[in-house]
Amino acid sequence: MIDKSDDEILLIFEEISNNFKRSNQYFDILYDSTSIVRITKSRSEETISVNAKKSGIVARTLLDSWHELAFQDESDLKNITKKLPKGTDKGDAIAEYDGWKINKEIKTKIDPSTIPMNEKIKKVRELFDYIKNYDKRIINPIVGYGEGLLTRIFVNNEGCQLRQVLPRIRLFIQPVAKEGSKIDFDYFSIGAEQGYELIDEVFNKNLDQIIQNSLDMLKAENPPSGKIPIILDADMAGLIAHESFGHGLEADQVLRDRSYLKEYLGKKVASDICVICDAPNIDGQYGSYFFDDEGIRAGKNILVKNGILKDFIHNRRTASVLNSVPKGNGRRESFAHPVFVRMTNTYFEPGDYKIEEMISEIKNGVMLIRGYFGMEDPLGGGMQCTSKKGYLIENGEKTKLLKSITLSGSVLELLQNIDAISDDELSLRPGTCGKGEEDFVPVTSGGSYVRVKSALISPG
Amino acid sequence: MSIENIELIEKSLKSKKIQEFEIYFVEQEIYETEFLKNKIDAEREVKDIDYVIRILTQKGNETGIGIVKGNALNSKEIENNIDICLILSKENIGSKYHFPGISSISPIKTADQSILKDPIGFKKDISEEIREKIDGHKEVSPTFGRFRLHIQNKYLKNSTGLDLGASKTFFYIEMALKAQENGKLSAESWEIEYIKEKEHLNIERSVNKWAKIALDTLKAKIPKPSTQAIVIFPPNVLKNAINPVIGFHASGKAYHEKVSTLNVDAKIASDTFTLLDDGLLKGGLMSSSWDGEGNPHQMNEVIKNGIFKNRLYDQKFAIMGNTDSTGNGIRIDDGSVINSISNLEILPGDIAKEEMISNIKEGFFIEKCSWLNPDRFSGSFGTEIRNGYFIKNGHLEYPIKGGNISGNVLEMIKNCHYISKEREFSLNSLFPYIAFKNLSISS
Repeated sequence: MIDKSDDEILLIFEEISNNFKRSNQYFDILYDSTSIVRITKSRSEETISVNAKKSGIVARTLLDSWHELAFQDESDLKNITKKLPKGTDKGDAIAEYDGWKINKEIKTKIDPSTIPMNEKIKKVRELFDYIKNYDKRIINPIVGYGEGLLTRIFVNNEGCQLRQVLPRIRLFIQPVAKEGSKIDFDYFSIGAEQGYELIDEVFNKNLDQIIQNSLDMLKAENPPSGKIPIILDADMAGLIAHESFGHGLEADQVLRDRSYLKEYLGKKVASDICVICDAPNIDGQYGSYFFDDEGIRAGKNILVKNGILKDFIHNRRTASVLNSVPKGNGRRESFAHPVFVRMTNTYFEPGDYKIEEMISEIKNGVMLIRGYFGMEDPLGGGMQCTSKKGYLIENGEKTKLLKSITLSGSVLELLQNIDAISDDELSLRPGTCGKGEEDFVPVTSGGSYVRVKSALISPG
Repeated sequence: MSIENIELIEKSLKSKKIQEFEIYFVEQEIYETEFLKNKIDAEREVKDIDYVIRILTQKGNETGIGIVKGNALNSKEIENNIDICLILSKENIGSKYHFPGISSISPIKTADQSILKDPIGFKKDISEEIREKIDGHKEVSPTFGRFRLHIQNKYLKNSTGLDLGASKTFFYIEMALKAQENGKLSAESWEIEYIKEKEHLNIERSVNKWAKIALDTLKAKIPKPSTQAIVIFPPNVLKNAINPVIGFHASGKAYHEKVSTLNVDAKIASDTFTLLDDGLLKGGLMSSSWDGEGNPHQMNEVIKNGIFKNRLYDQKFAIMGNTDSTGNGIRIDDGSVINSISNLEILPGDIAKEEMISNIKEGFFIEKCSWLNPDRFSGSFGTEIRNGYFIKNGHLEYPIKGGNISGNVLEMIKNCHYISKEREFSLNSLFPYIAFKNLSISS
């Protein structure tokens, strides 16, 4: 626990940073503090937990390799100058950027900390009771509420003095339904850099549909297998943009010679109608911020334009080596985790087709709904993305509801087979993303409806 | 240091006259080396502590539990955390709960003393060994990797007099090896594993295996479709199928939420299939004398010769089911306790892995899937094959990559064709190789 005000922390960091001259080496130091409230309720349990402002510090320097110290006890601050090695030649492994300053707190419409705990619990219980009483076939309504307040203070020996305070809120609803021996569910998840107002929106607008979606799953049929035309909803399109395509664009994989996309910069990777972006600077999104954990200002990265690969996703180091401009993609899960190149809000930009038109042009196909999970294959360019459900498309019409569907094959083949993107408003869904199987950071992904001429599907 | 801090928190709890409380304190040190290709790219040291306070408020037949997690150790912040925790316990409503009392605990060693004496030296030696063994394979090249040593000291003290401590050492290794042909076509083996014991860190054997997978995958073909395939799952793939589905359905929680499909004494698997949950398993990642609530870990027979025998309970669901905890209260990141598995063990079969392959006329051997992530309710899954082999007339005919394998875990365990004598640790599991019938391959 760091028992100092944010201003004091900035001053201490500057003092420490002065021990490491930029002409000799790169040095940065980050303070990370997180407060979290979680309320979950299911048929058998109600859990309420508070993570009370857990804080820590991580300092690092680059010589031939990175040297990093992370700790939570402020008495360990003295170890930074003792343990981190001193250099005499900054070398050219990392470019020098101009220092900058920012001090920003996102103000929400309704600050969750002003809502009494009993009111939040009451809201979760109301949601739970409403779902439980909606239909006897709902055997277990699972409701999860989470709010977080993240403070990050960053100083480096290039003159950066940065502070940001980011509120995040999330609601998860999964009504589990049962009929005979069949158990299934659909789910709903919403999250943003927003305040408590987000929760009210759900209760007022969407709840009946969320429950009905779960009940409908009891009648869902098994999907077909094979290569057929598909339509991806915004969720699934986002899963492809992030999981299958985006991870291969993370430029640390390029430096490792571990990206199938390494040779594709400036070349065609998708059909002409595709524009794919990653942008941590979108207001209010779950994966947004003002600066990353390396002190880089958040920007917008157009990764693919008119089907051409325009850039990779960079941190300080990869941008330096590959002569690009970092847009703020160096992220840590917390002070105790390493910094890696990470995505933020990753999406397909909407196109100009009507979804009705896209469906009507398919004789036999499948629509994949609700991106459930996926796994990257940065070297092989393979793809596994699974939807929670889908619809059969027969003679230009959405017909039967289908169970979970897995999409696999080559991601570049899929991107080049995209022949229509709908004009619906950009829709982003929150989630957490791991690098491999750990180091989780908040992200969103999405787009609008995307049609693929032919893709390999099977039951998920 | 930790004992002093726990006493400080306890003193504060007692000064506020809190009747039922628990302090769970974790100190952690992490030493990590990150590789970029065959060079060391980063060295990290992390020191971290967390404590969790749980306070109970009894309300007739119900109990409210407050949970606060923090790392502030000054008196003011500790008091503030206790005040928040007390409020939460008053607001929360749940089934009857009380903290476990003192009971007989089997002492097991979970920390390697030689590592504790020189963690940095140990990490350096293993990192060097990884580099050396990989450099010895000229036909494959590393793209990146991580080796990490974890040292954890856990303490649990509660108002019933329970006062426990345990140290643990374990490792994380992640390595991606690439094989290339004509400077263009490339294939990789990407391995991620938590390992409990130093003896299981067999770097040479692991690197040889990963290199072979990468090289073989260069020649991989798309598997041909089959709706009635015999598929061999190795331990590292099998755990991703078994643990989330059987672990979930066997829990007291799933039973109480009426979502478990398993009935005690019912036949749910092949006769040859016996599954244990064992929190004391030597070499198991989750092994410890006690579980996340302080109940003793023990060995639980979950499935014996295909018959479902026992459910797994934490304290809460044991009280609800009027039975005893089986040591299956697992402490999770937010400080709460969930009812889940400790280590799972499948008893070995009577056939060698090689013999198992030689008995199969046509089938598949899967080395790695993209992400076998089954639906825990239904047990259904569909996943892309990353590395594997097509088996023809008792031989690994050719490597495969791509295509999907789909099936249902609850059905799979009824269709165990062969179970190998050989077993391997993977995460919190000690599993054999199992050949399952009737799986579906699409491509």
